[in-house]
Formats: sequence, C-alpha cells, structure tokens
Amino acid sequence: MVYQPPAGARDLLPLDVAQKRWLEDRLQQVFHHWGYHRIITSTLERLDALMAGGAIQRSTVLQLQDLENEGLGLRPELTASIARAAVTRMTGATHPLRLYYNANIFRRAEEGNHNRQQEFYQAGVELLGSGGLVADAEILLLLATCLQNLGLQQWNLILGEAGLTRSLLSPFPDSIRAKVRHAIAHLDRITLETLPLDPELRDRALLLLDLRGRPADVLQQVGSLDLDSEQREIVNNLKSLVELIQDSLNLNQPNPSFSLILDLSLIRTFDYYTGIVFEVVSDGESGHQILGQGGRYDQLLGLYHPQGKTYPGIGFSLQIEQLHRILLPTQQLPHQTPASDWLVVAESAQALVAAFAYAQALRASTDRLRVEMDLGTRSPDAIRKYAQDRAIAQIAWISIQGTATVETLASER
Amino acid sequence: MLVGTYERTFKTSSSLFKTETETSNVKPSSILSIFPMITVALPKGSLLKDSIRLLQSVGLDFSLFLDPANRQLQIWNPEQTAKALLVRNSDVPVYVEYGQAQLGIVGYDVLREKKPQVAHLMDLGFGQCRMSVAVKQASSYRSVLDLPVHGRIASKFVNCAHDYFRELDLQVEIVPLYGSVELGPITGMSEAIVDLVATGKTLQENGLIEIEVLFKSTARLIAHPLSYRLNTDNLHDLVDQLRSATVLA
Repeated sequence: MVYQPPAGARDLLPLDVAQKRWLEDRLQQVFHHWGYHRIITSTLERLDALMAGGAIQRSTVLQLQDLENEGLGLRPELTASIARAAVTRMTGATHPLRLYYNANIFRRAEEGNHNRQQEFYQAGVELLGSGGLVADAEILLLLATCLQNLGLQQWNLILGEAGLTRSLLSPFPDSIRAKVRHAIAHLDRITLETLPLDPELRDRALLLLDLRGRPADVLQQVGSLDLDSEQREIVNNLKSLVELIQDSLNLNQPNPSFSLILDLSLIRTFDYYTGIVFEVVSDGESGHQILGQGGRYDQLLGLYHPQGKTYPGIGFSLQIEQLHRILLPTQQLPHQTPASDWLVVAESAQALVAAFAYAQALRASTDRLRVEMDLGTRSPDAIRKYAQDRAIAQIAWISIQGTATVETLASER
Repeated sequence: MLVGTYERTFKTSSSLFKTETETSNVKPSSILSIFPMITVALPKGSLLKDSIRLLQSVGLDFSLFLDPANRQLQIWNPEQTAKALLVRNSDVPVYVEYGQAQLGIVGYDVLREKKPQVAHLMDLGFGQCRMSVAVKQASSYRSVLDLPVHGRIASKFVNCAHDYFRELDLQVEIVPLYGSVELGPITGMSEAIVDLVATGKTLQENGLIEIEVLFKSTARLIAHPLSYRLNTDNLHDLVDQLRSATVLA
C-alpha cells in the first residue's frame, strides 16, 4: 500500500526548506529593521471570523467541524486573524501596532482545477492604528525594501485607490452600480458597452476602466473630472503619496528599481479596502505573476471589536512560492543543503564515549558549526568516500585512548 | 526563449496567402528575443479565417495557419514582431488566463462556459451563432417548460446548460458529451440538447428543432488582465488598432 498525500498537498524536502528559509530570513531582517514584531495566530479559525470582512468566500475555505458542529476553517489569509487578535487580545497595547507574520495558508482549489496546490506560504505585515499618508508611504517603502533585499530585479507596482474609485462610481444608479463595478474590476469592457447606461455615465464607466498608466498622467486625467471636495482631497493625498514614493526611491531617475503604475480600475467587488490598494507584479520571461498584494482597510477592525470600535489598518502579503519560482533562476538561492563541517569517527566501540564528547566540544566551540557522528560499520576508506561525497571538510578519528587525529579533505565542491 | 524556424514555402492562389515563395529562415535576432513580444492565441475552426483577416488588417500576418500543409502550432509573423498560437477554441482562454498569450480570439460561448479570468475587450462581430435548446421535431416539446421533470439534457456546454436550467428552476440531468450531441434525442438518451447553432442545418438534417435560445454568441477579443494593466509591449496600441479595424469592417 502506498500512502499518497492529498491532492494539492506538497512536501518540502530539505533543499526546498533551505531555499524557503533564505527568502524568509531576508524578509524577516527587513521587518525587524522597520520595527515590526512577529505574531503567530491560530491556523484554525471560526468560519464566521474568516468571512467577516467580506473578502473571503465560503467556497474557497477548507472547512472542518468541531464537536459542537461549529463551522471552522483553515485560514486562507492572515489579516482576519490578526485583526481579530489585535482588537480582542491586544486592547491595552499602544498604537500603532507593527506586526508581521510568516505562515502557511490554505485555499480550497476551485472546481475543475485538478491537483492545484492548496497550502501556501505567506509573509506580510499589518500596520494597525494609524491612517494617512505617512503610514501608506511606510508600507509601500517597506514593500519595496523587502523586494530589494531579495535581490528582485524588475517588478511592477500597480497602485489603486479603492475609496476614490468607489466614490467615482457613486453617480451610477443603485440598480446597476454593482454590475458596473464588477465589469471594471474584471476589465470587462464589452459589458460596460452593452449595459443600459446614459451616454454620460457610459463614458465615465469606460474612462474608469482604462484610468491607468504613468502616475502623473493619470492624476492629471482624474484632476480634470468634476470632483467634490472629498474626492479632491483623496486625489491630493494620492498625489503626495506618489511623489513621496517616487522621490524616496528615485523612481524618476534612470534605471528605477521598479515601475509604478497608477490604476484606478484596480478594485474589488466587495468593500474590504477603503484606501490605497496595490499589487506587486513580476516581469520576465515567464510573464507577469502576482507576487504580493495589499491595501488599506479602515473599517475591518471594527468588525471584530466587541463594541464595534474601529481603527485604521494597512498591510501587505507576499507569496513565498511565487517569489521562490521567480528567484530560482537567478542563482541566489542556496542550490544545496549546507554540508557538515566535521565528521567524528570512533575507531572502535571503546572510543565512543570520547568521540561523542569530542563532537560535543566541537559543537560548543563555534556557533553554527555542523558536526556529525559516524554511525560505525564502515571501513576507513568508505568513511572517507562518504565524507568526500557529502563535502564534509574534516574528519576527526578518535582512538581508544581518546586522542583525535584530524584529517582535512580536499574539497571537491 | 524557444524560437521556431520560420519557413514559408507554400504556394497557393488564395488571396489570403502571399504568393511569393520566399523562404525566411531568419530567427528573431537576439535583441528581439530578450523582449517578450505580443502573443495571440487563435482558435482552430470556424473563427480562424476571420481572426487572421482581422489581424492582417492591422499588419500582423499569420495566414500560414490557413495553409493546409502547415503543421506548426506556433508561428511568427513575417516581420518577427508578434507570435501566434493555434489552439482549440476552448483552450484559447486558458493560454490567455495563464499569460502565455496576451491576447486571444474566442467565441462568447466558450467564455460563458469556462468563465475564465480574462479581460473582455471587444465584440468582434464575426462568428455569429446562438446557444439553443433543441428537441426532436417529432416530440411534443415546444418550450423548455414542457420538458419532463428530471429529464435529460445532452450537451458539450454543461455549465451553460446547468446555469440556464437552474435559473428557470427546472430540475434536469445534464449529460456531458464531447461531440455529435444531436444523437442524444435521436437515440432517446436525452429529451433535449443544449448546443451551438450557426445555420440550423445540422439540427434540421437530424430531425431536431430549436425551442429556445440561451444567448447569442460572437467572437470576442480577450486579454491577459495583468498584461493589460501593465500595457506590456504596448498592448493598448494593438487593441486600439484592432478596435478601429473592427469598427470600419
């Protein structure tokens, strides 16, 4: 009988883990440098908690049932869990809260998708308790620093403003607004052209659908619309944010680290995000892939607060698997698991105590030294061959008297 | 990047084909191949000829795909500025959704059936047909409401059929078939079929009649959403040109 993993499951073998750790360590460094603290929340959540924000559909959650028949699900993302924990468990904490996570998430494969992966890894941050320009800028600059620290060349940041776009959609009649919004979010121009709309509204819908490009051009285009004072304020804030990001990262200089696209059609069909929204998209031969995404959600925390009190929040998540796939060809990731530094061999059974003690002493001498014991039954030549094959630099032969003879092997790799 | 040798050695009198027998073995230069170029997924079958004609009108010549002697599935235009993939109708949105093609031309019927995550940019107007419910002429059914409860419906378009009958709140069993669905009612396996009808000739010759139209279909221009958002390789310019060409046609 061969036991197989469930469809869509994946085992990470030591080399996979070494590469994943490489990525995660680099992201963690940046998170620490920016003053973020790690939070670990439960893998299992109540279904209603996962779905409270409106961004998660029941059908995409891997569900379980506990003894009381309460609906539980494996988390499909971390923001809901962190929002829940922050407003119920960290009520006394001083704001702002800077939290990061590095965790597995689960998504139920869509119907008809055979064997599509169901468990993924994400690293990301949530900055809670602070709204406004500076917090938005911190998150975008932190994101850029993360990707820079991974050595990622050439990527795109697609930036939208969910609050502005939603506001620009308000003139549409209630009966049809959801359809217009759905069509814009899904880049469905044909539907916009065929919906029963006044010519003026149709023009606005088609304008919103293609309101993207170089930030300066898009801001000018938006500025020429008939905006109310609230909308004008959002546009001014967006302009300040874009300029702050461009100046901080020298995006207007030759060879910028990434390209920034302002895209006001970047919206969801549900009211989850309230301010800026963004996606990180890779460039390159394998085409464009989404490496991460995020946005501002100033109403979300209130949904979890016992008294409905809300705090602003903003965050992003990075997809570890996608980053791994993109970075693999660049040769930066470790291409083998680290070799042991020492192999300690007891020359006879009587030398075992001394050999174990010698190995322990080596391990204690320097941090991070890898010392492995020979498990016996092999000839000295076989031991040397093993050490060569495993790229082990030194063998310590421990005699019955407890003395060590150190043999240094010529490195082949 | 894999680049197939581009050979055009065929001779034909069709006006769509170039008649000169120039052989171009030029591979795209290394400079060109660094930059990914626009790739268009084209459907085999009835939409192919009009699709190629439309692309020709904006200066992209993929007429090699119409040559019966051609066996290549991926070709470059003679100027080596764009690439085309020849795929099954229902596979067009798959290549576009996964981003291997930035643009694709496909029937609306396929989009309704597969609901791919692609940008729907333009109704191209050609390839007109309709998704219909048809029954045996000799039967007593003249409306879907006449169909028996838990009756069987044979179709290649199981999702379209399912959605339609669910909206009507009619309980039916959908029998998936991959071809010649007309045989369903003829053999008595199913009471009706849901299938694409262009002229209605096939139905007629098999003693079937249409009793309901689910929707009308035409060819659509679709795009990979991220490539569209990023305007990869000036995708918007090409789309605008195709729009002008379609409006003129």
